[in-house]
Amino acid sequence: MEEVTGLATERETAFDQEGHVKRITLGMARKMLEAAVRYSVEIVGFPCSIAVVDAAGGVIAVHRADGAPPGTVDIAIEKAWSAVVMGMPTLMLGRFIDPRVATTVPLGTHAIGIANRHRGRLCAIHGGIPIREVGTSLGLDVIGGIGTSGCPSADDDNTVSQAGFSALYD
Amino acid sequence: MHITLDTARDMIRAGMGEAQRLGNACSIAIVDENGWLVAAERMEDALIPTLDIARDKAWTAFAFKMPSSEIGRFGNPSAANAGFNTANWNDRLTTIGGGLPIKVGNSVIGGVGVSGGTEKEDVAVCQTAIKAIATPQPA
Repeated sequence: MEEVTGLATERETAFDQEGHVKRITLGMARKMLEAAVRYSVEIVGFPCSIAVVDAAGGVIAVHRADGAPPGTVDIAIEKAWSAVVMGMPTLMLGRFIDPRVATTVPLGTHAIGIANRHRGRLCAIHGGIPIREVGTSLGLDVIGGIGTSGCPSADDDNTVSQAGFSALYD
Repeated sequence: MHITLDTARDMIRAGMGEAQRLGNACSIAIVDENGWLVAAERMEDALIPTLDIARDKAWTAFAFKMPSSEIGRFGNPSAANAGFNTANWNDRLTTIGGGLPIKVGNSVIGGVGVSGGTEKEDVAVCQTAIKAIATPQPA
């Protein structure tokens, strides 16, 4: 059975002439989620919720692994959303709002104010990473984001997101 | 039995096949036996808010143990005991049709919500998704 993700004409616009991903499709999101869910359950050992959002911050797909706490779903979505709107991994945001390290980053204490912006939706916990178009480096080229919640260690959340991200180019 | 992630993914896949056959793009959300989201996916052409609406419908159908379209009768001012405080229930309460409870016998084991087409189309997609529980889809 052919996998149903949307209309065929839409799928063709997801890549540029060089084959680089320009837009995250549902098929890509499923592939990323499958890899990330397996990574969280089989390698990290903690079932997680993982969300993939598009450049508009809209959720494309969200999966909660069997056994992951229900509240992790929305945190995963918030992390992916935060990575997209700020154009950087949420662990970076965590650095910004941490008074202990804020003085050592270029922005200094100025950035502490981003904590709980966007009506509390901006999430500064490790685990959300933006997905960029290949070949560019500025924040304007974010095409989506992936976020994970469910691991007791923030670094693990980030690793699970990276596992999902890697599957995009698999 | 309860709804696992694998079951939910099969249901969504089957539902999206039906939606494509009907010629519309939709979002599908599946909640488990406690009303918590298991999986939600949005088709390529579906509008962004449809995913949240589908999630609301799935929760409503689960919580009331009836199709979400039937909830409206509780809000009818001419009926007895009428009136909803819609700010309650995690803001998830919706009276829009397109959400069905997943039943095994008399017990509700989850809910499915679809948003993207007309109410009739959404319900048809829900029914296809529920049927997929019994017949696992090929990956």
